[in-house]
Amino acid sequence: MDALTIPPVDLGLIAPLLVVVTWATGLLLVDTFFIPVGRKKLTGYLAIAGLVVAGLVGLPLWGVSGSTFGGMVRLDPFALTLTWVFLLIGILSITMSLDYLPRQDIEQGEYYPLIMFAVSGMILLAQGADLIVLFLGIETLSITLYILTGFAYPRLTSEEAAMKYLVLGAFAAGFFVYGIALIFGATGSTRLSEIGAYAADRDLGDTNLTLLLGGAAMVLIAFSFKAALAPFHMWIPDVYQGSPTPVAAFMSVGTKGGALAALVRLLFEALPTLNAYWLPVLAGLTALTMVVGNLGAIAQMDVKRMLAYSSIGHAGYVMLGVMVAGEQRGPEAFIFYILVYALSNLGAFAVLIALEHQGEEAWQLDDFAGLYQRQPLLAVAMAIFMFSLAGVPPTAGFMAKFYALTAAWEGGLPWLALVGVLTSAIAAFFYLRVIIRMFMTEPEGEPAPELNRGLTIDIVVAAAGTIIIGLIPAPIFALVERSAVALGG
Amino acid sequence: MEVVVQITFGVIAVFILVAAAMVVSVRNVIHAALWLIACFFGVGALYMLLEAEFLAVVQVLIYVGAVSVLILFAIMLTRQITGEGVRQLTNRWPVVLAIATLLFATVLAPTLINQQWNVPPAPPLGTPEPIAGPAELGRGFVNEFLIQFQVVGVLLTVALIGAIVIAYEERARRRKVLTLAEELELKRLREQTSPTVPAPVEAEPVVQESRSASER
Amino acid sequence: MLANYAIVGIFLVAAISFPLIPLVLAFFLRPKRPTPLKTSTYECGLEAIGDVHVQFKVQYYLYALAFVIFDIEVIFLYPWAVAFQVVGLYGLIAATIFLLMLFAGLLYEWRKGALEWV
Repeated sequence: MDALTIPPVDLGLIAPLLVVVTWATGLLLVDTFFIPVGRKKLTGYLAIAGLVVAGLVGLPLWGVSGSTFGGMVRLDPFALTLTWVFLLIGILSITMSLDYLPRQDIEQGEYYPLIMFAVSGMILLAQGADLIVLFLGIETLSITLYILTGFAYPRLTSEEAAMKYLVLGAFAAGFFVYGIALIFGATGSTRLSEIGAYAADRDLGDTNLTLLLGGAAMVLIAFSFKAALAPFHMWIPDVYQGSPTPVAAFMSVGTKGGALAALVRLLFEALPTLNAYWLPVLAGLTALTMVVGNLGAIAQMDVKRMLAYSSIGHAGYVMLGVMVAGEQRGPEAFIFYILVYALSNLGAFAVLIALEHQGEEAWQLDDFAGLYQRQPLLAVAMAIFMFSLAGVPPTAGFMAKFYALTAAWEGGLPWLALVGVLTSAIAAFFYLRVIIRMFMTEPEGEPAPELNRGLTIDIVVAAAGTIIIGLIPAPIFALVERSAVALGG
Repeated sequence: MEVVVQITFGVIAVFILVAAAMVVSVRNVIHAALWLIACFFGVGALYMLLEAEFLAVVQVLIYVGAVSVLILFAIMLTRQITGEGVRQLTNRWPVVLAIATLLFATVLAPTLINQQWNVPPAPPLGTPEPIAGPAELGRGFVNEFLIQFQVVGVLLTVALIGAIVIAYEERARRRKVLTLAEELELKRLREQTSPTVPAPVEAEPVVQESRSASER
Repeated sequence: MLANYAIVGIFLVAAISFPLIPLVLAFFLRPKRPTPLKTSTYECGLEAIGDVHVQFKVQYYLYALAFVIFDIEVIFLYPWAVAFQVVGLYGLIAATIFLLMLFAGLLYEWRKGALEWV
C-alpha cells in the first residue's frame, strides 16, 4: 500500500457550514447542561446568533470560487447566495417558533439545534458536488425534519404527519441510493463533474448509458419527492397540516430550496448531455405540478392546507428556473424566486401562528373573516403576503414570477411559460379569497390573535422585504446576477 | 471452481428467496421477523461470495445484530400482536399479483431482449479506485471521502437526538388525542350542529410519569 | 481468494453435522413411551399462566436505538483502525473529530436521563 497523500483541505470554503454544525452541536450540549427548563427561549436566541455568525463568516467568501475535499464540495457565488437565503429562512423560522412552542406546550431545547442541523443539510446540498455528499445533505435535512414534524407529539396529528413523512421519505431515499449505485456502475464515479465528463464522450445505445439514464431517473424521482413535484406531492397537505406550524413553514421553503439547488448542479454538471432525455420529463412534471398544486388549493377551506397546495404550485414556478439553468437567466430566476417565496410564505405562516391558540387551530377561512376590523395591521400584512404569493404587481412575488416566466420563455420553453401564466391566474382566485374574507366580511368569532415580539418581528421583516424587493428590485437583481455567473453551463 | 461458486450462489439465492417469501406469508409477526433475520444472513453470505468481506461483516453486525433486535423490540412494544387469525392478503390479491408481475416484466423484458449475454461489459470510463478491504476503505475515509465521513458523524448524532426526542420524551407526556381523520370528522360535526358541541376531549396521560424526571 | 473460504465452508458443514447426527440417530434409536406428565412443558413447578407475549417497556427500544447508532459508528471506525499505520496522525485527527461529534450525542443522551433505567 502506497503512502497516503493528504488531499488539500480548505476549511475556509465550507466556513458557514462548519460554523452552523459546530454551533448546533455546542448549543445542544449547552442547552441540556446549562439552560433550565423554563428558559428555553435563550437557546433560540443563541441559535439565531449562530446563524447570523455563519452568515457573517460567509461575507469574505463573496466572489471566491473553488472546490475542496477532493472536489466533493464546491463554493461559488451561487452556493454562497443560497447559503445566505437558507440562513435567513432558519432565522425567520426560529423567530416565529420562540413563542409558538411554549404556547403549544411543546417547548424543548432540542428544537433549535435541530433547525440548525437542518440548515446545515441545506447548505451542504447547495455546496455538494458529489452524489454521496448530496445524499448525506438530503438525509441530514430529512431526518431532522422527520423529528421536527413529530415535535408536537401531544397532538396525534403531528405524529401521524411524521409517520407519513418518514415512510415516504425513506422510500425516496431508497430511490436515491439505488440511483447513485446505477450511476456509479455506469461511470465509475460519484463526482458530478466526472459523471458529466463521461456522459459527454459516449454515444447513445451504450449499455452504460442505459444504466446512467436509469440511475438519473431514480435520482430525479428522489428529488421530485423532496421538492414536491406533482406525482410525488401526495404527502404534502397532510404533513404540513399535522406538523407544528413553524416547521411546516420551514419545510415548505427549506426542502424546496435545498433539493432544487442540488438538482440544478446535478442536471447541469453531471447530466447536461442527457438534456434531450430529462428536459421533456421535467417539463411535463413542472406543468403537472403547477396545475395540480393550484387546482388543489381552490378546494381547500383550511388556510394551512391551502398554503400546502400553493407550495406545490410554487415548486413548479421554481422549477421553471431550474430547467433552464444552463442559461444565465435560469439560476438567477431560481435564487430570486426562492428568496421571495421564502419571505412571503414564512410571513403567511407567521400570520397563521398569530391566529393559533393552544389546542385549537384557527386555520379555517372563516377564522379570517373580518380580521381587518379586529387586527388591521395583521390583516394588511396577510394581504401583502397573499398578493405576493399570487404575483400581484407592487409586491416581490410579481417580480419573481415575471422573472421565472421570462427565463422559461427565453430558455426555449414558451408553452411552459404559458401554463405558468394560466395557473397563476387560477391561483389568484384562492389567494384573493382570503383577502376578501379579511376585509369585506364581518368578524364571526372573537378569537383575538396573539401577537408577540418574535412574531411581530417576523411579520414586519417578511412584509417589508416583500414590499421593498417588489418596489426596488435592482440590488437583489444585481446580487443574483453575480451569483449566477459562475454556474452557467 | 467456477461451478462450485455457481452452485453456492444458487443455494444461497434459493435460501434468500424462500426466507423472503416466508417473511410475508407466515401468520405470526415474530416468526416473520425471525425469517427476516435469516434473509439478512443470506444476503451476508452473498456479499461473501462476491469477495466483499467487509460488507458481509457489516451486514451481519448491523442487520443481523442490531436492526433485527430493533424489529423484535418494536414488535414486543405493540400492545396487541397481529395474531394468527388475521389475513395478511386482501381478497383481490390475484389482481395485485397480476399487476405486479406485469410491471416487473415490463422492467425486465427490455433487459432480457436487448442484453448481449456473455459479453464483458464496457468498463466505465472513470477508473474506480478499487475499494475492497477495510484498509482501503479506512484510507478512503480520511483521504477522498473525508467530508462524507464527518457528515455521517453529524447524521448519526442527529439520529440519536431524534431517538430521544421521539421515543423517550414522548412517553412521559403523552395524551390521548385524535387522528387527522377523526379531527376532521369532529370539525364537520361541529359545523353541522350548534357551536356548543364539546371540544375534542383530552384524556389523562396514558403513562403517568413525572415530567421533571425526564428533564433532569 | 474465494477458495480460502472453502475450508471455512467444510468446517461449517462439519460443525453443523457433528451435533446433528447424534440427534437424528437418537430419534430413531430411542424408545418412545410418552405419558401426559412427561409431555408437559415443565415436569415440575407451576403451570404457565397468561400470554407469552408481554408488552415491553419503551426503555428497551431506546437502548436498541442507541445500540444501532453506536454500532454503525463502530463500523465506520473499524476500517480506520485497520488502516491506522498508513493514515497516521492525520487519520487520528479525522477520527477524533468524528468521535467527538458522537460523544456530544452521548453526553446529551446521558444528561437527558435516557440511559437511566426507570
